[in-house]
Amino acid sequence: MALDLNMSILVVDDYKTMIRIIRNLLKQLGFDDVDEASDGTEALGKMKERKYGLVISDWNMEPMTGYELLKHVRADSSLGKTPFIMVTAESKTENVIAAKKAGVNNYIVKPFNAQTLKGKIESVFAD
Amino acid sequence: MTKRAVVGDKVQLALLVKFLKQKGRSDIKIDDIIGLAETMAKTLDGSVLTFGAELHQEFAAIASEISSLKRDIYDLRPDQMRFARIPEAGRELDAVVESTEEATHTIMETAELIMAADGSDAEAFKAMVDEKMITIFEACAFQDLTGQRVRKVVKTLSWIEERIARLAEKLASVSDDVAAEPECVETEDERRMRELMLHGPQMKGEGVSQNAVDSLMARSDQDDIDRLFD
Repeated sequence: MALDLNMSILVVDDYKTMIRIIRNLLKQLGFDDVDEASDGTEALGKMKERKYGLVISDWNMEPMTGYELLKHVRADSSLGKTPFIMVTAESKTENVIAAKKAGVNNYIVKPFNAQTLKGKIESVFAD
Repeated sequence: MTKRAVVGDKVQLALLVKFLKQKGRSDIKIDDIIGLAETMAKTLDGSVLTFGAELHQEFAAIASEISSLKRDIYDLRPDQMRFARIPEAGRELDAVVESTEEATHTIMETAELIMAADGSDAEAFKAMVDEKMITIFEACAFQDLTGQRVRKVVKTLSWIEERIARLAEKLASVSDDVAAEPECVETEDERRMRELMLHGPQMKGEGVSQNAVDSLMARSDQDDIDRLFD
């Protein structure tokens, strides 16, 4: 997969502030087409309506968590290949392992900086 | 016990039941229950004497424990806990959320203004950036206030913990039976948190670092990952 600055990115987080931070960081990195959702359910709905080049999701949200969203996405034949990065304060080993087993492409622990986000996005598209 | 004494006790108990019914069950206070216990102890007093001094001593000990428990409950100051300390702690935490949100908004809005500013006039741009930086520094002052508020909440929690621990200690000394704790039933919320691994942010040094995450993500062999659970 090649990194395309024009791709649509879906940021999923229940904190508007965090969405704003990620949106601004992505803008600095050159990504302008950024959409947002406040939980897994809303994200899944949006993903069924529009094709995204990357999903950046928090873990802890209600009613559908980022982990559940990841499993739904991977189980869906039309969405299954969408690159998925988890950005979360959940930093227990079991969370990282569970996300990896569920098919996450990369995992970022909050708080993070623009450099980490850039590195992980590049890493996902370099694979 | 004479027939007249038994009839007398029944009348006393009937009056007590009537008393409680008149007050209405939802309105019964700890004082009412203790009053009932004391009245019952007095009612039984005459009869008990006929059964022997040993039984009488048992009842006296129970009455003494009830009085002591009453004092301990007063020491706990439940009204102050319920109507003052806990609501105040809640307000402090609300204020923390509000001030952090406000500060974050100010900082981000200022940063966005700087990012969107026209940099063609270097001097004007620098003056604007300097001014906006001061706004950001000012907004960062929230940390000092939130720190103080959080410390107040911690103090309140310690106050409650100390009193509950003292009461639990006294109750344990009343009866060794309390050592057998009732089985905890998992709530729906606790079940969701456990199943979906919702631990929240970890304390410093408790979670895994980004480097450790990277190392875990780099493991391509499933067996390597599985071995972490062995």
